[in-house]
Order: sequence, then structure tokens, then C-alpha cells
Amino acid sequence: MPTKIEKDSVSGRDTTGHEWDGIKELDTPLPKWWIYTFYSSIAVAFVLFLLYPSIPYGPGYWHGLLGYSPRKAVDAEVAKLQAERKVSMDKIATLSFDQIKADPALLEVALTKGKITFEENCQACHGAGGSGHPGFPALAAGSWLWGGKLTDIQRTVTHGIRSGDPAAHTSAMPPFGELGLLKPEQIQQVADFVWSKFYGHVTEGQDVSAGAALFAQNCAPCHGADGQGNRLVGAPRLNSRIHLYGDAREIIVSQVTKPRMGVMPNWNARLDPATIKCVTLYVHSLGGGE
Amino acid sequence: MESVANVLVGVMVAGFGIVGLFLVAGAADSEMFIFGLGLAVFAVAFNFGLVKRHFDKRDATRGAAREATHV
Amino acid sequence: MSDHALAERPVIYNDDVVKKFVIASIFWAIVAFLVGVYIASELSWPALNLGLPFTNFGRLRPVHTSAAIFAFGGSALLGTSFYVVQRTCRARLWGGEALANFVFWGYQFFIVMAALSYVMGFSQSREYAEPEWHLDIWLTIVWVCYLLIFMGTLMKRQEPHIYVANWFYLAFIVTIAMLHIVNNLALPISMYSAKSYSYFSGVQDALVQWWYGHNAVGFFLTAGFLGMMYYFIPKAAGRPVYSYRLSIVHFWTLIFMYIWAGPHHLHWTSLPDWTQTLGMAFSIMLWMPSWGGMINGLMTLSGAWDKLRTDPGLRFSVTAVGFYGMSTFEGPVMSVREVNALSHYTDWTIGHVHSGALGWVAFITFGALYYLVPALWHKELYSKRLASWHYWIATLGIVFYIVSMWVAGIMEGLMWRAYDKFGFLQYSFVESVVAVHPFMVLRMIGGVMFLIGGLIMAYNLRRTVTSPTIEAPTLDTSMGGLAVAGE
Repeated sequence: MPTKIEKDSVSGRDTTGHEWDGIKELDTPLPKWWIYTFYSSIAVAFVLFLLYPSIPYGPGYWHGLLGYSPRKAVDAEVAKLQAERKVSMDKIATLSFDQIKADPALLEVALTKGKITFEENCQACHGAGGSGHPGFPALAAGSWLWGGKLTDIQRTVTHGIRSGDPAAHTSAMPPFGELGLLKPEQIQQVADFVWSKFYGHVTEGQDVSAGAALFAQNCAPCHGADGQGNRLVGAPRLNSRIHLYGDAREIIVSQVTKPRMGVMPNWNARLDPATIKCVTLYVHSLGGGE
Repeated sequence: MESVANVLVGVMVAGFGIVGLFLVAGAADSEMFIFGLGLAVFAVAFNFGLVKRHFDKRDATRGAAREATHV
Repeated sequence: MSDHALAERPVIYNDDVVKKFVIASIFWAIVAFLVGVYIASELSWPALNLGLPFTNFGRLRPVHTSAAIFAFGGSALLGTSFYVVQRTCRARLWGGEALANFVFWGYQFFIVMAALSYVMGFSQSREYAEPEWHLDIWLTIVWVCYLLIFMGTLMKRQEPHIYVANWFYLAFIVTIAMLHIVNNLALPISMYSAKSYSYFSGVQDALVQWWYGHNAVGFFLTAGFLGMMYYFIPKAAGRPVYSYRLSIVHFWTLIFMYIWAGPHHLHWTSLPDWTQTLGMAFSIMLWMPSWGGMINGLMTLSGAWDKLRTDPGLRFSVTAVGFYGMSTFEGPVMSVREVNALSHYTDWTIGHVHSGALGWVAFITFGALYYLVPALWHKELYSKRLASWHYWIATLGIVFYIVSMWVAGIMEGLMWRAYDKFGFLQYSFVESVVAVHPFMVLRMIGGVMFLIGGLIMAYNLRRTVTSPTIEAPTLDTSMGGLAVAGE
């Protein structure tokens, strides 16, 4: 029920005759380019429906004339890459570490693969370039818990530490404080001894002989009489400048009282043997390899 | 007409306030505790505002009536 | 003509609730921008997490998105819809004062409680639907009251027709109700616990979530704000709406197409192939319906472009329409499966969202606010100069933001899919994080500029409200350039 149709002097169009709070509307037809672009986009959509998996019906769906599927496309791309890598990765899988190192071209491939594998999987805990974090050994500095030879690293990466894998490294430090094996004051004495003797924070005139005796009796069997550690049981070396959980006396006390013992995943669940070899070579090359 | 609607809203909000109190009473976690308490406080504050507005408006119309009607 | 008879019956509008929503909208705008800047800084310097659970990025991020979308945008939508529906229907809000106030306070209560629950660590982990079940029920109650008021006002209108702005507002209200209820179907572990589990599982869950998520963009951030545009641009420009036909056609096509486009958020996932294609195709068809709104907004300006020089509010509205056109073109492009393979999970998406959120949603709201505050309080705008400053700082901020996110996003997309000469991945994820760091900082700077603009606006509007009342409203309600046909 148009009430008052007016003419717009700017566009030359009539209004529709409606008015709301002073707002009026022009009776302009749809812009041609707009409607034709709209029709074209609908046509494009129907072409897509025809070519690609689209319309569902009862038990299945229209698979499209191209037989395309995103899943198959990804699978094909992955397969192509794997074929490309296969030549060198197969060699790495069969050759020994010495043989790989003897072939500079192959070693370059292995180290390239090792680097990206390390960055995507290991760096989060062990730090960029193997610089380490509290609780995670500094690989570049060679503070190995279970050995730093190529075969040692390979085994640790493959089976992990306390990971649940049957071949994993496992050992446990007794919770001396919690089990009451050492009394709180004895733990303080041991800490004093380790702090001054191995960590090098000597306090003038402090008598640490009681701690030394307790250390020899309780700790030396694993950590060694000189605190040199024992890789057979993964007992960290104490007489160095790099400490697994950090350089603080309270950490010694808390470790003796109720030790934290780290876990490393068994990477054989995620990486294939050739890739583990690559990452082993890379870790070994960071500066701490033996 | 409008005053009836306002009373209905007031009753509804009061109902939410009581639900809030039940939620606080039975709360199994801090979130439900805070929400229930918030709901109860919301209901009290809202209905207080409703009552206040009602009397404010009545006072205003009385005052206005004295000065002859004006909107 | 019944027109004149009706015009003589004075209608007293409920502007009190509109004023409240306007104030809330300005307040939440500042909160949203501030939290945004803070979490952008966290992404640049993670130490700003402070090591505290409640300042963690994961908890503050939904505070930012909810504050921007639901608190700032929502308050603006509810407020303007109450303003527009009363005036274009010539009817006072249905349901009385208390019901309108309940919608206002109930909505604010929802926002505050939702933000509190996020920082306390309660979340459904559904993007833009984070509030847990009890808050969802509360919002449903408030929303139904809102719908009743809006519908009731439409029903008792004194105009023969329903204005296009109200179609969009109504589509927004009805569809958001439907999306909200379906996506939040969940089973609480107890009446008295805030924890719940979704009714859906697996890929159905993902599809329902993105059906919701995409249409929250479509019906909250697009349809609702188009309603705003359809009132404030013709009013501020003083020109008739460009094309009534276009408004009908683009309204219905937009409504019909949008609801199907959600699956484009799930390309290259376990979502069935056919669903992915449908999502992509509907997104392409959505391009022109979206642009219909842009054309109607921009072409309404013909014959009034000179007003852009004198009216900073209108400048915001028109720039908003420009950004709207840009992001509704970018959207269909990104929904194409091959483009999505590059863009998905990168900061390009963040840039796209913000060209819509800052450029369109915030700017169209600023335009409406610069119009509304003087109109509601019967004042003259305190300073056009400050509004101009706001305009330029905010625009520059958006440019910083979206350009840095484009560069960062495309860089990430390319780095993640780069292979070296042996066929191995060339870059690790952390290398891409390092590479985009400068752009994270640039983005933060863009956010700071947008925040400064918002603060200028808040100050300007505050001074407007406290300035002396002008005698008679100077708003010119007549449309320029019109003459009765045949004269």
C-alpha cells in the first residue's frame, strides 16, 4: 500500500512509497553485474557438486566425476614423499653407523633428517641444540645418564627411560627421607657434603666428615666414591658443573628425601629405525658425543 | 497493564534467586557456588531496583500532577 | 491517509534501556580491546603469562573473544535493535519496563559470570560457546525474553510494513537462539556441578560446533550488524536506501546460504568428503548475497558523499561497509579447499577474523554510537576533531593488524609445508614461531592503536553526555533529494 511515491533527483529513481522514521527506499532494480555474478557463483557451485564428492543420498553419496577425495590426495602426496626419501632411508636402515659416516653424501642426508626430527620431537625437553633443561640432560654438554656412544644413544632413543617398553632403561633411587633410611639431619649432612665436595660451594671451616661417611655408605654404590656417576644404572654424575635438576642445595635435599626420576618416551612407538639412527647421529654430533 | 507485567517479571526473577540459593547450598565446585550466589544477589538487587523504580515513578507523577500534566 | 492520523498519536519510547546498553557497549569495548592487547602481548612475550593459571593465554583468550563478540557487540546489537525497532514500528517496547531491564541486567550478569568462569578454568572448550551448561540455560532465558520483546514490538507496530533492519535483527535473534540451544546440548555430571559433557561426539561434535561457530559469525556478526547498518547509514546520510529489491533478495539469499557454510572450518579432517565440498560450494555462493549488503550500504551514500567530510560517525559506518566487503570476499576465497590447505591453522585466519571484527563490527558500532549518544541524550557531539582522531588511529591500527597477520599467516603456511632437497620437512614448528615473532609484535601495536582509539571515543562520548542539553534536537529526519513523483 504505497502511500507517497516520490522521485529522487540524484538517481532519477522512484521511492517505494514506504517510510519508517523518515527512512525511505528507492525502487532500484538489482544491479546487473551483481545478479549475473551471483548466478555464475551458483553455476560454479553446481560444477563443484558434479566434479567432487557432494550430494548425500540414502546409503552413500555422489563421489564426483573426478573420483577425487582429500584423504586420497593426502595419501598420494605422503606416498610420493616417502618414495623420494626411500632411496637414502633404506641405505641408512641397513648400514652401520661407521658405514654411514664413511659416506659424506649419506651422512648429510642423515644429519638433515636428524635435525628436523630432533627439533620436532626432542627439543621441547632437551632444549634447542641439546642445551638441556632442569630434569632433562644437556646433550650438547655430554652429561649422559645412560651413555654417550652412538649405540648407547640409539638404544636410549629407541626404548626410552622408565617408559614401559620392556627394553627400556630402568632404575630407581631409594627415597631415603621418605622411607626413613636417613634422618632429616643426616640428609642435611649429606647435602652439605655433596654441596661442598662435588658442587664446589665450599664454606670455610665447615666440617662435612659426617656427610662424607653417610655418602660413602648410602650414595657411593651408585653415584661413585668420587661422585663420578654410573651409567650402568643411570646414576647422574655429581662432580661436574652441570647438574640434572639444577645448582641449588635445596634440590639435593629434596632429591635425597624423595627423588624425582625422569621419564623419556620409547620413540620406537613413533619413529622408524632409520629415523632413530638419523636422530642418533644428529644428537651425537651436537658436541657431547663419545 | 504494564504494572502487571512488571510484577510478573519480579516474581520470575525471585524464582531464579531461590534456584540460585539451592545451587549454592548443593554446590559441588567453586564455579557453581559463585554462580548460585551471584544469581541470588542478582535477584535481590534487581527486585530492589524494581520496587525503587515503582515508587520513584509514583512520586514523579504526583509531583508532575501538581504542576499540571506534562511528559 | 491513515499516516497522518497515526503520526499524531505520540509514542513514548523506552530509551532508558537503550542508554544502558550504549554505556555497556562502550565499557565492554574497552575491556575487550584491553584484554586483546594483553593476550597479543602474551603471544609476543610469553613471560606475561606470569605463571598464574588465571592469566594464562588459554583462559584469557575466551575472555577477549566473549568480551568483543557478546559483551561489546551483543550490547550494541541489543541496544540498537531496541532503538531501531521502536522508531521504525512507532511503538514502545512490548512487555514493559521491567522485562526490558531484565534483558539488560540478565545479559550483563551472563557476561560477567562467563568471564569469571573462564578465568577459573571452567569451559566447554567449544569456540565462542565456552560457557558451561548453567550459564547457557541462563542466556537462553534472557534471550527468549529478548525475542518476546522484539516480536511483541513488531506485532503492535503502527507502520504497515516491517523495515528491513528489523528483518535482519529478527533473523539474528531467532537463529542465535537455535544455534545456541543445539550446540550447547550437554549432560551435566550433576545438578550442582558446572562440568558437563557434550551430547555429540567425534566428527558430529565438530560439525555441530562449526555449524554454530560459522553461523555465530553469520547471524550475530553479520545479520545483526547489517540491521544496524540499514538504520544508521540512511539516517546519517539523509538519503533513501539504494534498493528495496536488493535488500529483499540479499536478505533471503544470505539467510539461506549462510547456514550451510560451516563445514569449511573442517577441511582436511575426518569430516566426510561430500560435506566438505558442500561447505565450500555454499561459501562461494555466499559471496554475492554478502556483497548485496555492501552495495546497499555504499550506494545509499550516492548524493551524500560530501557528508563524509563533516560527519565522523558516517565515516566509520562507510569504512565498516568497505571492510565488510573485503572480508566477505576473503572468506569465500579461504573456504576453497586448496587455499584452506595453506591458510588453515595459521594467523591468516586471525587476520581475517579481525578485519571483520575490527573493520566491520567495531566500526559500524562506532558509527552507530556517534549517532546514538547525541540523539539519546539530546546533546551535540563534544568534539568532531577527537572523533576524527579516533577514526584515523583505529584505521591505522586495523591496517597494522591485518597486514601483519597476512604476512605471518602466509609465512607459517609456506614454512609448514616446505620440503628440503631430500624430501624432509624443511622447518620445524618452532622455527615458524620464531619467524612470526616480529609480526606478533606489530599486531600487538595495531591492537594498542585500536585501544587508544576506543579510549578517545569513550572520553568524547562521556564529555558529550555531560555537556549542556541542546534546546531542540537538531537531527534532520527528512531525506534529501526527494520530491513527490510527478512534480
